[in-house]
Amino acid sequence: MTAAAFLPWLIVAMVVVAAVQIARRVILWRSGRPARVDWLAGLKALPRRYLVDVHHVVDRDRSASRMHVPTAGGLVLACALLVVGLVPAIAASRLYFGLVALAFLVMTAGVVLEVRRRYPRPLPRLSLGQWQKLPIPLGVFALGGFVTAFLASLGDPLPAVSILTLLLTTAAGLGLAGMAGHGPMRHALAGAAHLAAHPRPERFGGGRSTELRPIDLDAPGTGKLGAETPADFAWNRLLAFDACVQCGRCEAACPAFAAGQPLSPKHLIVDLAAAAGGGYAQPYAGNAYPNARPVGGAAGLHAPIVSPEGLVHPDTLWSCTTCRACVEECPMMIEHVDAIVDLRRFQTLERGAVPLKAEEPLANFRGADEPNGRALAERTDFAADLRLKVMKDGATAEILLWLGGAAFDLRGQRTLRALILALNAAGVEFAVLGEEERDCGDLARRLGDEATFQRLAKANVATLSQYRFSRILTADPHALHVLRNEYPAFGGSFDVVHHTAFLAEMVAAGRLAPAALTGKAVTYHDPCYLGRYNGEIEAPRALIDALGLERREMARSGRRSMCCGGGGGAPVTDIPGDTRIPDIRMGQASDTGARIVAVACPQCTAMLEGVTGERPEVRDVAELLWEAVQAGGRNEAAAVKAGEPA
Amino acid sequence: MRTLVLLSDARHPVSGRPHLSRLETQAIGLAASLDPAARGLHAGSGEDAVRAGLGHGLAGLDVIETTGEADPLPALVGFLADALGGADAPELILAGRRGEGGFETGLVPYLVAERLGLPIVADAVAIRAGEMPGTLVVDQAMAKGARRRVTVRLPAVVTVHPLSPLPRPFAYGPMRRGRIRRHSPAAEQADLPAVAKMAGHGTVAGRAEDTGGTTVGPVDVVPADERPHRARPKLMRTSGTAAGGANLHVGPDPTEAARLILDYLEANGIRRYGKAPE
Ligand code: SF4
Ligand code: SF4
Repeated sequence: MTAAAFLPWLIVAMVVVAAVQIARRVILWRSGRPARVDWLAGLKALPRRYLVDVHHVVDRDRSASRMHVPTAGGLVLACALLVVGLVPAIAASRLYFGLVALAFLVMTAGVVLEVRRRYPRPLPRLSLGQWQKLPIPLGVFALGGFVTAFLASLGDPLPAVSILTLLLTTAAGLGLAGMAGHGPMRHALAGAAHLAAHPRPERFGGGRSTELRPIDLDAPGTGKLGAETPADFAWNRLLAFDACVQCGRCEAACPAFAAGQPLSPKHLIVDLAAAAGGGYAQPYAGNAYPNARPVGGAAGLHAPIVSPEGLVHPDTLWSCTTCRACVEECPMMIEHVDAIVDLRRFQTLERGAVPLKAEEPLANFRGADEPNGRALAERTDFAADLRLKVMKDGATAEILLWLGGAAFDLRGQRTLRALILALNAAGVEFAVLGEEERDCGDLARRLGDEATFQRLAKANVATLSQYRFSRILTADPHALHVLRNEYPAFGGSFDVVHHTAFLAEMVAAGRLAPAALTGKAVTYHDPCYLGRYNGEIEAPRALIDALGLERREMARSGRRSMCCGGGGGAPVTDIPGDTRIPDIRMGQASDTGARIVAVACPQCTAMLEGVTGERPEVRDVAELLWEAVQAGGRNEAAAVKAGEPA
Repeated sequence: MRTLVLLSDARHPVSGRPHLSRLETQAIGLAASLDPAARGLHAGSGEDAVRAGLGHGLAGLDVIETTGEADPLPALVGFLADALGGADAPELILAGRRGEGGFETGLVPYLVAERLGLPIVADAVAIRAGEMPGTLVVDQAMAKGARRRVTVRLPAVVTVHPLSPLPRPFAYGPMRRGRIRRHSPAAEQADLPAVAKMAGHGTVAGRAEDTGGTTVGPVDVVPADERPHRARPKLMRTSGTAAGGANLHVGPDPTEAARLILDYLEANGIRRYGKAPE
C-alpha cells in the first residue's frame, strides 16, 4: 500500500474536522434573528454567483484573481478527486494519482502567487497574523500532496519520501481544516453559504439592490428596534460577517478611513464577527481604526457591540458616509452599510444616543418636517420671480419638480434656478409641490431615525398620490434614491429622473441648444447616490460632452468614485479625523488639471465648495448647461442681427 | 426624589404644530437626572405632542383629558393636590419658565404653586438634592450669566431656564413603550382640597373660562421677540444682578413699592421721564 492511498482518508479527516469547527459557527448564526431565505434558488444560483459575480469583483485586483483561481480551484479539484479515490479500484490506478498530482500542482502555483503578494512586504490593506502565515500550511499541503501523489503515479519509487510528504501533508491539511471555524479558512465555507443565503439576492446577475429595508416600528411587545448585540442581526448577516477574507479592499476605498476618522469597514466587519463569538480567537492583525478611540472590548452574543465598553466605539459608527464604496469593492458581497445602519437604528431609536450635533436636524424633522428647521412654505421663496406652478393650485403637469433641501440653501438655489430656467427654455411643463413638499427623510434614515423617516415617507407618498404627473424630476440624488428606491416600500412607486438624465434627454431631443463652451477642462465627480446607488454614470458625462467641454476622469470615478463626505449624515455627526474627506476628493480633482469640477448633487456642491485654498471651481452640471444654452441664445441673436440689413 | 414635570400644550415655532416645548424637554432632562422614575403631567385635549416626553427620559405620563378650550389649571391643581396627599407624593414639580406659542401663558407654574401653597423657584439651570433630606439646591439663572444658589424645602415648584443643560436626545423606542395613564378632569375636580379651592386671585388663562373664582379676560401677551427697536438702556453694562443694600426695602406698601421701582428705573435710564417704554 502506497502512502498516497492514505490521501483520500486525509480528506475525510479534514472534512470531519472542518465540519466540527464550522458547526460551532453554525450554532452562532442560528441565534441571529430569523430571515427569509430562498435556499433552493440560492443554491441553484450559487455556482453562477461565485464564478461570475464574485469573480468579477475579485478580478478588479488582477493579482488576487490570478492567485485565487488556481489556489481554490486546485484545492477543490484535488479534494474532489481524492474523495473519488475512496473507491479502491480507482486508488489503484497510477493515472489517477497523476491527475491528483496535477491538481495539487495547480494549487501550488496559486500559493506561489499568493506568497508573492505577501512577501517580502504585503499590500498595506492586507491583514497579517494568521492571514500572513496562511500560505505556509497551504503551500505545505499543496506541495506535499503533489509530491505524494506524483510519486504514487510513478509507482512509489521512494516510499520513505512519500511517507514523509504524506505526514507533512496530513499536518498541514488538518491544520487548514482546523482553521475552518475561527481561522482564515472560514471564508471558504461561510463565503459559499453567504452567497447562497445572501440577504440581497437581487444584486447578483448584474442587478442592483441598494435601498435600506424598513423595520417594523409597531412590532407588538417590547421588541428592540435596530441591532444592539450580535444576536439582533438576522442570522444571514452573522454569516456574512464570518465570510470576510480581510482583503482590505473596503478599507482602501473607505473615505472615512482615508481621512483618518476612526472607521475601517474591514475592521468593523471583523469586529462584528468576533463579537458574535465572544471576542477575538486571534488578535486582529489588520490596520487599526485610525485615531482609534479606546474601547473595553467586551463581546458576546448578547453583549452590546457599540459602546465604550464593547468592541466598537460609537465614533466608528458615526463616521460612515453610507457611500457604499466598501460594498462595491467587497469580493465576499458583504453589506457593510446595512450593518452600520442597523447599529445606528438601535443607538438612535432606543437610546437616543446620536452625536450632539445630529440631534438638532432630527429635532427639526420631528417638529417641522425639515432638517434645517425652515418653514416648508418658504421652500419656493428663492424662485418667487420664476412663477413656479404649484400642484395644490390645480396645476397639471407632465413633470413634478422635487426641489429638496437645496431650495433653502443659497448655493443650492443657484443650481435650482439654472435648472428651472433650462426647463422653461426647453418648454417643459412642470410644477412643484410648494409647501406640501416635506423633506424626503434621507438624512433621518441614514442617521438611524427610522421612525421619522417612515412618517415622512408616508406623508409624502400620500401627497404625491393626490396628483397626476408622469415623472418626478429632482436635482438631488439623495431624494432621487429615496423616492425611487425606498418609497415603494411605503406604497409609492414613482418614475423618478435625475436632472442630469433629464437635461441630457432634452439636449438629445433638440429641445435645448447649448453652444459649445470651449476652452475649459472639466472633471466630473460622481455622487455616490447617483452612481453607485443608482448606476447612473453615463448621462451626466454625455451632457458634459454635449457642451463641448474637455472631460478628464479622476482616478476614482463612475461606480468606484470616492465620496465627497456629505452623505449618511457625516457632516452633522462630524467625527474628527486627520483631514477632511472633501479635501481629499478635491485633491484628486485638482490632480486631473481640470479647472472645473462638475457636480450633480447639492451635498457634493456644499462639501466641495467648502474646500479652502486654490482649487477648481465647483459647478453643477445644470449650471454649465444653462450657461451654454444662454451662450447659444446669444449666438443666435447675433446671427439674426448680422443677417438684418444695416 | 419623586419628580413630576408639567407639560404644556406648546406649538412648534416654525411649523405651528403641537409639540413638546423645548424648555420642558430640558426640564425632563433635569428631572430624569434626579429621578429615573420621573413622570410627566399634562392637561389638555391631545397627548400626541407631549408623548414625546417619554422619549426624552420620562418614565411615565399622566394625561388629564380636558376639552380643547378648557383652562387646564383646575385639572392640574386637582390632580396635584390629590397626588400630594397620596402615598407616592411628588416632591418636586418642574415646569418651563414661559409659554411657547400654544395655549400656554407661562403663568401656570405660579398659579399652581399659589393654589397648592408651595414655594416656587424660577429659572433653574441646575438642581440637585440638598444635604438635608427633603431639600433641593437650585442654581438660578440671573441676568448676564450670573447664577444664584438657593436651597428650598420640598415639596416645591421649580421652573426651568433655557440655559439649563441640553435635553436628552429623543428616542423613539422608549416613547413607544412608555405608559400613559389617562384621567378624567371631572373626578379630579370633585375632590379639590381646600387649598386648591382658595380662589380669588386672578387666574389668568389664555381664554376666558370659569376657573372656580374670578373670570378673567384673555391676557394681552406681547411676543417676547417682536419688540420694536429702542436705544439700549445705558445701565445694562454696569448693573449688578442683585439689588444693592441701599435699595433694599423691606415690606413697603404696594404703591410705595411701585414708586420706588419706577424711580429706580428712571434714575438708571431704563425708563425715561415717566413715559412708558414702547
Ligand atoms: S459606506 Fe463608505 S464611509 Fe461607510 S464604511 Fe463603507 S466605504 Fe466607509
Ligand atoms: S469586508 Fe469584504 S472587502 Fe472588506 S476585508 Fe472583508 S472581504 Fe475584504
